[in-house]
Amino acid sequence: MSNAVVKVFIVLLIVLGTFLWVGSTITAMTGGEKKAGGVVEVSPEGGEQIFWGKGRCFTCHSMGDQGSAVRCPNLGQFGEKFALPIGARAAERARERSEETGLHYTVTDYLVESLAKPDAYLVDGFKNEMAIVFAPPISLNLDEIKAAISYLQSQGGEVDLEAINNPSDIASTYYERIEAASAAGGGDPGAGEEMFTDNCSDCHQLNGEGGEVGPDLSAIASKGLKFISESILVPAKKITEGYETFTVVDKEGLKTIGIKTRDTATEVDITTDTGEVITFTRSDIEEITEDEGSSVMPDDLTEALTVKDFQDIQAFLMLQKGEEDEQ
Amino acid sequence: MKQVLNRISKPGAMLALFALLVVVALPAFALEPNEYRQFMGIDSRKLVWFLAQLHLFFGAFVLGVPLFAVIVEIVGWRGGDAKFDKLAYEFTSLLSVAYATTAALGGLLAFALFTLYPTFMGYMAGIFKDVMFMYALLFFVETFCLYLYYYGWNWMKSTKPFSNSTQLIFKGLGIAVLIVAAIFFFGGFGLEMRGDTRSFMAVLYLLPFGIGLFLIRNPKSSHVMIGIMLNIAGVALMQLSNSWAGFMMSPAGVDEDGALTGSLWTAFENILATPVAIHRMLGNLAFGGLVAGAYAAVKFIGARTPEEKAHYDWMGYISNFVALCALIPLPFAGYYLGREVYSQSAVMGNNMMGGDFSWTFIMQAILVGSLFIISNYYLWSGMTRIPGAERYYKFIKWILGALIISFAVWLTPHNLPLTALEVGEMGGSQYHPTLKFLGLMPAKNAVVNLIILSTFFSFLLYRRGNKTDAVSISAQGRTPVIVISLAGLVAVAIVGQYALSLLTMSPADLDLPADRAQYFSTLGYLLVVECIAAVVAVVLALKDHGKLAQGLYLGVTAFNVVLFLGVYGFVVMEKASPLLRNVAVSQFLQLISCLILVTAIDMYLFKGAKEIGKLQWGKMTVRSQYALLLLTFVITMNMGLMGFIRSGLRGDWHIFGLMRDTSIWSYTPSNYTMTEIVSLAVLVFMVAVAFMFWLGSLATRKPDSSESLKGESDV
Repeated sequence: MSNAVVKVFIVLLIVLGTFLWVGSTITAMTGGEKKAGGVVEVSPEGGEQIFWGKGRCFTCHSMGDQGSAVRCPNLGQFGEKFALPIGARAAERARERSEETGLHYTVTDYLVESLAKPDAYLVDGFKNEMAIVFAPPISLNLDEIKAAISYLQSQGGEVDLEAINNPSDIASTYYERIEAASAAGGGDPGAGEEMFTDNCSDCHQLNGEGGEVGPDLSAIASKGLKFISESILVPAKKITEGYETFTVVDKEGLKTIGIKTRDTATEVDITTDTGEVITFTRSDIEEITEDEGSSVMPDDLTEALTVKDFQDIQAFLMLQKGEEDEQ
Repeated sequence: MKQVLNRISKPGAMLALFALLVVVALPAFALEPNEYRQFMGIDSRKLVWFLAQLHLFFGAFVLGVPLFAVIVEIVGWRGGDAKFDKLAYEFTSLLSVAYATTAALGGLLAFALFTLYPTFMGYMAGIFKDVMFMYALLFFVETFCLYLYYYGWNWMKSTKPFSNSTQLIFKGLGIAVLIVAAIFFFGGFGLEMRGDTRSFMAVLYLLPFGIGLFLIRNPKSSHVMIGIMLNIAGVALMQLSNSWAGFMMSPAGVDEDGALTGSLWTAFENILATPVAIHRMLGNLAFGGLVAGAYAAVKFIGARTPEEKAHYDWMGYISNFVALCALIPLPFAGYYLGREVYSQSAVMGNNMMGGDFSWTFIMQAILVGSLFIISNYYLWSGMTRIPGAERYYKFIKWILGALIISFAVWLTPHNLPLTALEVGEMGGSQYHPTLKFLGLMPAKNAVVNLIILSTFFSFLLYRRGNKTDAVSISAQGRTPVIVISLAGLVAVAIVGQYALSLLTMSPADLDLPADRAQYFSTLGYLLVVECIAAVVAVVLALKDHGKLAQGLYLGVTAFNVVLFLGVYGFVVMEKASPLLRNVAVSQFLQLISCLILVTAIDMYLFKGAKEIGKLQWGKMTVRSQYALLLLTFVITMNMGLMGFIRSGLRGDWHIFGLMRDTSIWSYTPSNYTMTEIVSLAVLVFMVAVAFMFWLGSLATRKPDSSESLKGESDV
C-alpha cells in the first residue's frame, strides 16, 4: 500500500512539473504580468500603450497581423474587407459621415466620435457592442483617449495633434460628453439616455418633451453631480420649489397625494405620481397639507439599479445644460 | 457521543471566530481609501489566493463527495444491492475528517482576508452581514446533518416499514412540498428573481426535499432523506458564498459610492451569482466523483487479493461514471457562465477569451481535452473486463483519432507568438495560412462538440459490451413508449423553440442589415431538420429499430453540429459576425437533445438482453488506475486554473467597477505564477487528502489479533 502511495505521488509530481513547464513556456512566449500602464502623453507612442494595455482595445480589435481578436473590425490592413489601415480608412469614413449628417467631419472628428459614441457608425457586419472606454472598468481619461486617437491616426494616416488638442465643434461635443461621464464616475450617457426615456420621461421634461409631474431637467447639469445623485437616491431630500407634495383630504375622507399644479380661489389641481390631474373645488376640500420631507418621486428607484445604470443616468443628466423651462 | 462533540468543536470554533470577525469588522458603506496589510512580509494577494484555493478544493470535496455518496446510497437502496451501500458509507467516513479541515481552512482564509484586506472585507461585511450570519447558521445545519448521516448509518439501516399512517403523512408532506416547488418554479411566489436562480432553488432545494419526504417509508429511506438534507445545506452554503464572489464581479443593489441602495436580495442575486453556482455545482460533482475514483485507484494499486481488486475496480468505475455524467454538461455550464460574464461586461468577457487570459484558456483546453481523452481511455480499458466487448474494439481507433484531432484544433491559437525571424519565414504574418482558421471560434466549437459526442459514443459502446443484441422495445410495455416519446418531445422542444426564435428574428436585432436574413433562416431550418430527425428516431425506436434510430439521430447531430456548422460558422463570421453566438447556442442545443434522446432509447434497447458473460471486476490494468488518478489531478489543476481566470477577470478591481485594487499587487499575474500557486495548492491538497484517507482507514482497521490477545493476558 505504501509503495502505491509513493508511486502515486511520483506521478503527481511529474504532472505538476509538466503543468509548471507549460506555464513557464507560455509565459516566456507571451509575456508576464499584465499591469495597467502609468500616465501616458498624447502621442502615438502613448496611444499604442493604451491600445495594447489599459484601453483593452486589443481584446476586440486586431491591428493587421498583430493581435488575435476578431470580434470587432480589424484596424490595420487585413484582407479585402479592410484594405486600408484605420488612419487612411478614417478619411473615407469622415467623408461618409459628412454626407450622412451634413456636418463637416475631419479624420479626427470621425475617430473621436467612434470612441465617444461607437454606435454613431457601425461597420457592416458588426454589432454595436463596443465598450464605453471612459466608463468603468476601462475608465480612460480624455488625455488617454486623445493618445489612442493619435495612435489610430498613425496607422496609415497623418497624426494631427493640433486637431486633437484644439477640437472642432463636433469633437468638442464629444469631449464634453467624455468629461461629463468622467465626472459622473464614468457612466455611458447613451445608455443613460435610454434609461431616462424608459423610466423618467413620463414625469420629467427634457428640452420640451416628457411629462410635467416632476421638474424640467433640461438644465439639471448646472446643479451639479451631488444634487443629481441625491435626487435619484433620496428624492425627498431637496425638493425643487413648486414640486412640494400635498395631501388633500376631501369631505368624504378620501386622500389624494400629489403636486399642486394649479391653485385658484375656487379650485386646486393635484397631479398624482401617475400623471393624473385631479381638480378639487375648494368647497369639497376638508384639509390640504404640505408633506414636508416626502416626494411623489418613487424612493425605491435604486432597488433595481446597478452601479452602471446609476452612473449611466448621471452621465446623461450631466450633459443636460440647456435652458430650463421656468415654471 | 464525546467523539462526535470533539469533531463538532473544530468547525464550531472556526465558525465562532468567523462570526466574531464579521461583527468586529467595521462596515465601510462609503468607499474609502483601501488599507492593505502584510503578514511577515508575505505577498498578501498570493497568500489569500493560496488559502482561498486550498479552501475551495476542500469545499468542493465536502460538497461533491456527499452528492456522490447519496446518489450511490440511493442506487443501493432502490436496487437492493448492499455493496453500493457499503461504498457510500466508505466515502462518508472520509468526510468527517475532511469537514473539520475545510472549516479550519475557512477560518484561516477569513482571518487572512479580514486582517490583510480590512477595508475591502469591512465593506463586504457591511453589505453581506446578514448573509454571512446565515452562512454560519447553515454550517451548523450541515454539520449536524453530516454527523447524523454518518453516525446514524447502521442505526437507520433497517428496512422495516413504518406504520401506514406515518408513511401516509410523509407522502402527503412530500406531495405538498412538490406542489410548492412547482408553484415556486413557475414564479407563483417568492422574491423577484432571475429565471436561473429560481430554477436552481426549485430543482436543487425544493424538488429533492419533496422527493425525499415522499420516499420515506422506513428508517433506511429516512437516512437517505438526511443525506438529501445534508446536500441541500451544502448547496445552499455554496450558493451563499457564491453570491459574494458574484458580487465582486457584478455588483448590484449599490450606488457608485458602494452604499447599499437596493435590498440585500438585489446584491445577493447579482447577475453572476447563479451562473457561477451552476458551474460549481457540476464541477463539484465531477470533482467528488474523481476524488472518490482516486481513492479507489490507490486502493486497487495496493490491493493484494482478487476480491480487493474487484471491489476497488468497481468503485473506480462507479466514481468515474458519476464524474463523467457531470463532466459532459460542464462545458455547457461554462459556456452559459461565459455568456453571462460577457453580458455583464463586454470588457470582462473579451478579456477572458481574447485578452489577458487567452493563453490561460489554451492551457484550460489542454486540461479539459486531457480529461475527456483520459476518461475515454479508462472506458476503453474497462471494456477489457467485459466479455464480448472485443466486437467494438474496432471503433476505438476512430474515436481516438477524432479525439486527438479535436484536441489539437481546440488548443490551436489563432495567432502564434513568433520571433521576428519566424514571422519573416511565414511571409511577414503572425497568422499561419491554414492553422489560423483552427484558432477561430467556429472550429473550436465544432471540435468541442465532437469531443463530447465521441465520449458519449464510447459510453454507448461500453454499455452494450456484453450484450448479445438489442431487444424489442415494443415488447416492453408502455413505459418505454412514454419515456422515449417524452425524451423526443423534450429534444424537439429544446431545438424547436430556438429554431422558431431564429426564423422570426430580425437581423436588425443584431445590428445587421436586412439582407443578412438568409443566415438566420439557414440556421433555423437546420434546426428544423434536427427536429424532424428526432421525430423519426422516436418512431424508429418504437418500431424496434432502436439501433437505426440512434445511428440516425447521432449522425444527423454530428453532421449538423460538427461538419455543417463547423464550416458554415466561418461564413457567418465573415458575413454576419454577431450571429456567431447564436450558432454556438444552436450547436449546444442540438447536442444536448441528442444526448437526451439517444440515452433514453439506449435504456430500453438492451434492457434484459442476453449477456455474453459476466463483467470480470478486477481484471483491469494498473495503467487504467493511473488514468483515474490522472483525471483527479487534472480536474483539480483545472479548478485552480479556472479560479484564476474567474477572479482575474476583475482586473485591477476588488469589486468590478466599484472598488479599485490600489495595492502593490494590482496586476494580472503571469500564467507561470498561476501554475506555481495552483501546483502548490494541488500538492498540499493531495497530501492532505492522502493523510485523511489514511486517518479514515484507521477508524475501520480491525485490531491486530496478537495485540488483542496480549491485552487480554495483561488483564
